[in-house]
Amino acid sequence: MTTNAAPTALFVEALDNLKGQGRRSLLALLGVVIGSGAIVALLNLGHMAQLETLKRFRQTGVDMLQVVAQPTGAEPVGLDLGALKAAAASEPGVVRVTPLATARLPVRAGARQLDAMVAAVPPAMAEVAGLRAATGRLLGPIDDCGAAALVGARLAGDLSGPGSALAPGALITVGDYGFTVVGLLRPVPMEALSPVDYDQAVVIPLACARRVAGPDPTAALIRLRLDADPEAVGRRLTTRLSRPGLGVQVRDARAMIRAMNAQAAVHSRLLTAIGAISLLVGGIGVMNVMLMTVMERRREIGLRAAIGATPSDIRLMFLIEGVVLSLSGGALGAALGVAATAMIAKMSGWTFDLALWVLPLGPGMAAVVGLIFSLYPAITASRVHPIEALRAD
Amino acid sequence: MARSNFDPSIPDLAGSLRAPGVSCFGGAPAALALVGVSKAYGAGPTRVPVLHDISLSIPAGDLVAIVGPSGSGKSTLLNLIGLLDQPDSGEIRLDGQRVAFQSPAEAARLRNRMIGFVFQSFQLLPRLTAWENVALPLLYRGAPRAERRARALAMLESVDLADRVDHRPAALSGGQCQRVALARALIGEPRLILADEPTGSLDTATGATVMDLLRDLNRRLGTTIVMVTHDPDLAARCDSLIEIRDGRIRTPREEAT
Repeated sequence: MTTNAAPTALFVEALDNLKGQGRRSLLALLGVVIGSGAIVALLNLGHMAQLETLKRFRQTGVDMLQVVAQPTGAEPVGLDLGALKAAAASEPGVVRVTPLATARLPVRAGARQLDAMVAAVPPAMAEVAGLRAATGRLLGPIDDCGAAALVGARLAGDLSGPGSALAPGALITVGDYGFTVVGLLRPVPMEALSPVDYDQAVVIPLACARRVAGPDPTAALIRLRLDADPEAVGRRLTTRLSRPGLGVQVRDARAMIRAMNAQAAVHSRLLTAIGAISLLVGGIGVMNVMLMTVMERRREIGLRAAIGATPSDIRLMFLIEGVVLSLSGGALGAALGVAATAMIAKMSGWTFDLALWVLPLGPGMAAVVGLIFSLYPAITASRVHPIEALRAD
Repeated sequence: MARSNFDPSIPDLAGSLRAPGVSCFGGAPAALALVGVSKAYGAGPTRVPVLHDISLSIPAGDLVAIVGPSGSGKSTLLNLIGLLDQPDSGEIRLDGQRVAFQSPAEAARLRNRMIGFVFQSFQLLPRLTAWENVALPLLYRGAPRAERRARALAMLESVDLADRVDHRPAALSGGQCQRVALARALIGEPRLILADEPTGSLDTATGATVMDLLRDLNRRLGTTIVMVTHDPDLAARCDSLIEIRDGRIRTPREEAT
């Protein structure tokens, strides 16, 4: 490149030139705006999805197995508690087993009745699932098989009538049995590995499960040592616990995270492709604007050439104009992209979070696109012959 | 004072003019000399010869008019002198130095340093202010902005436009525009100013003041000015006259004997 002018001076010239045609160019830049916006939005959505995934493992942690038993026939069979304990004892990687039983039953409080999840859990589940009482107390060893129940935050609201809020001490009917509410739960974030959404559940002692649910636990959460191989332990447990009429499924946290990440990766790849296509279309828009600019400014190009601008000077000036143009479209797109993620977060109940590293990527890609698609117009401009250009009136 | 710009003996001397920097006048080298310059456009059977074996010499500090009917080749001549185009044969010398360029970039650099242009239609950039227009040649010398501005302001003052530095061309009259263009042509301190119908877009009175200014700058700064004009009154005010007809220099006019 043999430029006569200092590149910084050409940069200032290019900026001045752009000021005159901002509005018209912005329309043509729509593709770049959308492309950059899509890329920023998608990357930030991916970031937020990852945060949401992590949130769902915050309480249980990633060193956890979930065992779920489902009867394959009509018989209401569950996990054999003895076999479960024996199997766990034979696995050196298992730290603790927390069995639970779930059933869907009609729940009545006063005049209100609705179907709800009933979870029969041992006292230790409070710690595993992060249950805390909003009012009253949690279940303890003294409840062994007392008719005591906890009610989840949302369900408590649903069971409260006007002027008769559900409170500890209230009597509720679960299935055919009466229970005394001893506590209301605080809202619990939905955990990926939890078989129960505690916010919408009635929690009773596991020892009582027999009364309302089937005879055996239907699920268990198994805490593993960090160095245990969750897949191998899961496979062995599945074999040992399966019996005729009962299907056993073991899921481990890490595999779930992997699956979620893989899904997120597919999404973000797809969406990135959309962004890339928008940018490509936007690039053609940039080329169009720049070619028009070059045609309209033939005389200017001729004049600049006559008084000493080298072809490189002219080329560089138009390249800078194209890049700055797309960059501004990209910046606008980035702002729109962030706004879009904020809206999506609001709609899907996610927490909005901005990953700062995604911000420069949209405008950055736009600038690259601007550079590539301005090359041809800039070269065209640099080949304008001053005599012919100055003659054009 | 007899100032002849045309020496009829030049064609005969052409052989002795090969060494660069040597003038046929013996004294200071001519500001501009053409030796046997020919130019044709097109190729093959459609080839149209425009200039035939033009030789001329213009002493430094002269104000010279090129006249001739349209189609005579004077624009082509001006383009060649302005290094906007290359002659097919012959050579062009500025200050005794042969100017030849291999590339458009080289030509641009030579134009930037050697030549100031004044156009009939001013050719000011409408988006730029008066001083920015004037400073443009310095931009392509890599001069920093502060220096460009300072020199442009000084130049505008010398064409009596000190109070219009921040105006855009649309806010200036035709005469003022041409004075801005003149300042732009002069700012790079070129050896030569080429003016193509500098008063062609102006009314007679304004044209006369621009001509006054050209004359004045030529005297004050000693800049050589070559001007193409149709206006016999303007031509009469030049030091000498070159008449082009059918691609050849016609009868020279000896002035003020």
